[in-house]
Amino acid sequence: MSAADYAKRLECGAFPPLLYSHRQRPRHHQQPPTAPVAVQERRESAALQTCVLVLFLLGLATPVFAVTSAVASTPRGTVVAHDGLIELFGKNRILWRADGLDNPAAIVTGERRVAVLDTLANEAVVIDLASGKAQRRRLPESPTAGVFLGDRLFILARDARLLVTENGTIPLAADPAFLRATNDRIYVYSRITGIVEELDGTRVTRRVRLAPFASDFEIDGRNGCLVDPRAGKIHTFALATMQPSDAIDVGAVPVDLAFTGGGTAITARTLAIADPSAKRVWLIEGVQSMGQAVARGFLRGLLGLGLYGGRASQFPTGVDRVLVRGKTWAAYDSSSRTLYRFTKSTSTVIAKELDPEAFTVTDEAIVWWQNGRLRSSK
Amino acid sequence: MKRALLLLVVATSAFAQSTRVASDFEIAQMEKQLATSRDFASQLSGRLNLGDVRMARNEPSLARDEYAKALATADRERLAARRASAMTRYAQATSYAALAQAKLGRESESFALLEESIRYTANDPETWNLYASAMTVLRRPLKAASAARNAVAIAQAAVTKSPSTRTRLDLAIYQYALAAALTDAHETAEAERVLVDVTESLRSQAFDELRRTVARDEAFEIYSSARGDAPAYVSLLNRAQLRLGTLYEQRGDAAAARTQFERVLRTRSDDVTALTALARLAPSDAERERRYAEAFDANPFSTSLVREYRRYVGTNKLAVPEATSTGSEVRRALVQLARGERRAAQQTLDALLAKHPASETLRTLRRETEVTATFAMPSATPTASELRRVLDALAQDSLTAEERSALDAATFTNLARFDDAQPGPNPGQTVLASGTIDGVPFRFPTPTAFAGTFDDAQPLTLTYRILAADDALLLEPIRVEASR
Repeated sequence: MSAADYAKRLECGAFPPLLYSHRQRPRHHQQPPTAPVAVQERRESAALQTCVLVLFLLGLATPVFAVTSAVASTPRGTVVAHDGLIELFGKNRILWRADGLDNPAAIVTGERRVAVLDTLANEAVVIDLASGKAQRRRLPESPTAGVFLGDRLFILARDARLLVTENGTIPLAADPAFLRATNDRIYVYSRITGIVEELDGTRVTRRVRLAPFASDFEIDGRNGCLVDPRAGKIHTFALATMQPSDAIDVGAVPVDLAFTGGGTAITARTLAIADPSAKRVWLIEGVQSMGQAVARGFLRGLLGLGLYGGRASQFPTGVDRVLVRGKTWAAYDSSSRTLYRFTKSTSTVIAKELDPEAFTVTDEAIVWWQNGRLRSSK
Repeated sequence: MKRALLLLVVATSAFAQSTRVASDFEIAQMEKQLATSRDFASQLSGRLNLGDVRMARNEPSLARDEYAKALATADRERLAARRASAMTRYAQATSYAALAQAKLGRESESFALLEESIRYTANDPETWNLYASAMTVLRRPLKAASAARNAVAIAQAAVTKSPSTRTRLDLAIYQYALAAALTDAHETAEAERVLVDVTESLRSQAFDELRRTVARDEAFEIYSSARGDAPAYVSLLNRAQLRLGTLYEQRGDAAAARTQFERVLRTRSDDVTALTALARLAPSDAERERRYAEAFDANPFSTSLVREYRRYVGTNKLAVPEATSTGSEVRRALVQLARGERRAAQQTLDALLAKHPASETLRTLRRETEVTATFAMPSATPTASELRRVLDALAQDSLTAEERSALDAATFTNLARFDDAQPGPNPGQTVLASGTIDGVPFRFPTPTAFAGTFDDAQPLTLTYRILAADDALLLEPIRVEASR
């Protein structure tokens, strides 16, 4: 940007529109339980501090935090949005290429189509997976997420407080932050009010009020889970009744959640929860009905098993995103932009300096886009 | 007492060099804060405030330096907080990094950081306020309005739960951010309603105690990044009244607008935005002149003030200001430019640039004086502007050979005022040497005797050719006659 452009954008001379208060804000989040720090960790920390100082002195400071690329897995291959392009990668070659967006923030995948969203510029490109034929759409303010219900595309325009369908819009509660779909129903979580709205694709059918300010909202076929980082809890509700159910205590600052597998006769569905404060992904039992809980407790008693909770994978840095598909588990640290593969007991660095949306998981591998190349790790 | 001391300092130093610029005090305070307090909030607010003040003075390279330092401070804090597993600190530092990126014009980076911060502290209205502010800076008013509405909703709930001065002040700050975003989104009716709420709330009894603190501390500084309740109150009331006045003015209610701007001046007599607005709305030329003079003394480099004043001098014949303050000198340069006195404007601006080398306003104006327009041959009876263009072109030796020979061949006639008419060597002759044509100075190569007795108190009709120019036009006289 030229100096002249810069001056124009910053509205010289007029009264600045801003006011911020620099009060000491209350500590909202719990601190992680203190634990002895290994000597090796201390050494690594000191080395990192020195490295940051050197980088800062060189004018490089911390890595640039931006959204420049997005990756998603589809039935026909991996879609990558980058550098103003959208490409579908097959096993050995690029199957098609289309004009893309400046800030690809998310990719919505369906069986036959994908939609790439530019939240900043309020645009989407919807592409037919088979032919690569693309259609560009202007959208209401801040399209942050989308879902396909069958072949029908629904896009959440967060700052317009609207659900955009292919025939019109549906008004939503304040700050609709998350959008999910299952069983031919759409669920939208309003972060400011704590309300989850259920929609049938044309209107809001039911509502339930839960905790506000969640950092993630996920659903499986039967339950919805909200991650509450302040309280260190997972709030749950039953989709069938739209009634709140259990709240589960998890770690210090849980931020992101993924389901790691279906429940069995003796276990409820397992949740993987990223806790950057504790530098762990907690693995806990998810929601179960009272009947299930009694039955499983009875079975545990019979089989002599302990509780499933308490397991965790540890990381050298605090991960705040977790993705699970089949047996492929990945976690990501937004502050250091590091991608990890992890299991119940180990974690391995897969890539560094990676954008937050530039990776995905498939049934077989972790896939990411970096330095102009699509890479994978099985 | 602080305000009185400042005025005393201004009065003393005015004799030495020039009037202080109004924001000099804020700059000094912020530099002192940066030197004496090392904590994150002090360093960050110091850098942001310095950047904003520099920007308001149209010193973008200095402003950019400050914003880059604010970003480095926030980035260091982000990493340190994350290592310490202090997630609220991390989110707060991330918000400020986003704001610094926005001020540096980096839209995508700013947006990504804002989205990151709200994952952790969506419950914190200050996080949303920073989101709104960054989006306002980046000219994304609908995103800004949405974020500001979230901040207001959370703060409103806090006031309902615990109505105190602090929660009310917080709510007013976030309402102000909402009004700013709504104004940018052209939703002015709602913006006006919100600003009326804010100003009435700030003037209500609920803030009596805080007003007493402000009076006791004699606080007057205006910061975009205020620390503590009293500075926040002073800055917020100032900004809210300015915005409300501007909205009233835009919908044609001049009286209501003037009331708001005059209220601003009661607490901050050198507020450049209020002074400029009052100049614009002045009922008389005398008041307009006075307000413009005060505005230029408050901030001589404000681009919006310069733009408005140029419109004003473009349609009004003004005398060149005489005073020696920086503001007066800038006004002098603008009047000189309006009158086509490019060389004089250059000299004025060069002197100003020597004292204020970082001012982009002065550099822009100085570049304007160097622009060589296509030479147009003056008419047979040239105007002052035409003669000044010829004077500049000859002084800069910018004429082509063809233009030069066309000028040499042309004769012109004007009414001229001569400086000192002397009796000639023979009776009935008058010796004339120099004078002005419509304010443009000229002289002859040598004093020349003309037939006739002329009185230099009266203008004479001079027919001449143009030979050259330095400080004045060098003319070859052909004929001098008494004007009819």
